[in-house]
Amino acid sequence: MRCERCGAELTNKIIKVNGVYYCENCARELGLDKYLSAPTDLLANAFSPLDEIAGGFMKMADLDFGNSRITCPKCGMSMREFENKGRVGCIECYNTFKEYLIKEMKRQQGEVEYEGRKPGMSNGIKTEAEDIREEAKELPKAPEAQETTPAKDDNIEEKIAKLEKADLGMLTDEELEEGMKLATQREDFALAIRLRDELNGRKGA
Amino acid sequence: MTMWYEKSGKNQDVVLSTKVIVTRNIRGYNFPCKMNSDECRQIVDQVAKVIDKDKLPNEWTGASLPAKTEDGKALLTSESQLLGRRLNVLKDADRKAIYYNEDCSLSVTVNQDEHLTVRALAAGHDPKAYAMADDMAASLEQKLDIAFSERHGFLTSDIKLAGTGTVILYTVAIPAIVKSNGGLNMLRQRVNQYYWSITPFDEQGQYASSNVYVIGSISTRGVSGEEVLRRGEMLINDIIQLERGCREQFATRRTSEVSDLFGRAYGMLRYARNINPREALDALGWLRMYKEYDDSSEVSISWEKLNKLTQEILWESERFSSKPKGGKLDTIRANKIKNILKGDE
Repeated sequence: MRCERCGAELTNKIIKVNGVYYCENCARELGLDKYLSAPTDLLANAFSPLDEIAGGFMKMADLDFGNSRITCPKCGMSMREFENKGRVGCIECYNTFKEYLIKEMKRQQGEVEYEGRKPGMSNGIKTEAEDIREEAKELPKAPEAQETTPAKDDNIEEKIAKLEKADLGMLTDEELEEGMKLATQREDFALAIRLRDELNGRKGA
Repeated sequence: MTMWYEKSGKNQDVVLSTKVIVTRNIRGYNFPCKMNSDECRQIVDQVAKVIDKDKLPNEWTGASLPAKTEDGKALLTSESQLLGRRLNVLKDADRKAIYYNEDCSLSVTVNQDEHLTVRALAAGHDPKAYAMADDMAASLEQKLDIAFSERHGFLTSDIKLAGTGTVILYTVAIPAIVKSNGGLNMLRQRVNQYYWSITPFDEQGQYASSNVYVIGSISTRGVSGEEVLRRGEMLINDIIQLERGCREQFATRRTSEVSDLFGRAYGMLRYARNINPREALDALGWLRMYKEYDDSSEVSISWEKLNKLTQEILWESERFSSKPKGGKLDTIRANKIKNILKGDE
């Protein structure tokens, strides 16, 4: 709500005279002081400091829960629910609450990236995707491809480099599809297979 | 059926159990806290198709889960430790399934907090539990589309687990460290250096109610699961050495006092008509401290029996959803201890 005279945002003191809202300054300038409450008198209102402190808390509470209206579009989990339970409701929550999640993860374990194994890889067991990747590396290149090197496009190279480093789980389906096309164009079959497997995994699910 | 914790284990004078828990989720579904009954059943069906029945021949699925009876609850928690210590793990039993082997040392629980929870449990100090759990997890990962992100690792509902999704827990009985001046503080510092955690198995108010503690891994990112295990092995070896050193100090420097308490503790456990859990665990602590030094041969109790008694008392609170009143539980407990010491159980 704003003062209808100067347009300033109205805070805790709102003066309404004849249906018009004024801020404290305008009310004084217009001689409407009588509508303002009397200066705080500690003796008259011994709890006023407490009221002020309580007011401060209310403002802080609003700040703390400023993001509480964020809701995951997939599972419907709200930020407040997540904060209360300490659990997320689905994979999409990792995107929805990304900023808070990363902050929380850093708080718990420091600024660290995942360094564990990939799914299905344990004690020398390789996933199907890994096998395909290795097979693709071993395949001889087509004679045409060996003879002619496609013209380099800096933009494509940049995108490929980004995809190489990207967390595939966090990319959208469209980004994955586009990335696959680019990777195939650049004959980066290992990347293309990774992107394809990620996409197939999502479609299969 | 002999349960996993009734077997012999390495360093069982200090380490009661080694537990490795690996959590995974299936892509395309919400996590269990946001799933409806149909989705839960779909997950149960998917897992049923791929579970290794040779390794996990026994199962409880949905309505057959014996969570609604007192005996069933006891079987799932205190007797087998297939589920955690919180009774609410039995909530919505119809949506869950459990696959487990003969001695309950390896199990897969479906829809308990995460879609898949692999548990490998071993008596004493046994790093093989890690390999058991990790192999089972990897086998499931090959057959199911697991939620995984290259940046965060395995995606879990509990963000503390996101990454490797793995927790390693050693349950240790350390009466000598607890009774030594500054012993527990020294241990806490050591545990923090390895970036692990130490928590009392059970607490009453702000105090630990026994000399049993759980040493647990924290890191799920920044280091591989194998590295976490390697650090855990170093830490647990330090703890074993420290506890044994403290026991030796007590046994050699305060022989008369400790041997007296050892005898009294055995007498109380063997003949008491009523005993509360704190008294019982304290008495078991004195037995543990002086057992290796007692040359009177009047008290004969194996480490297996001592550990079984300790586990029985620690997990006892999960046995009853409504505890017997009027001191009856103290009598039941005293009889149980007596029977185990006599060799009847």
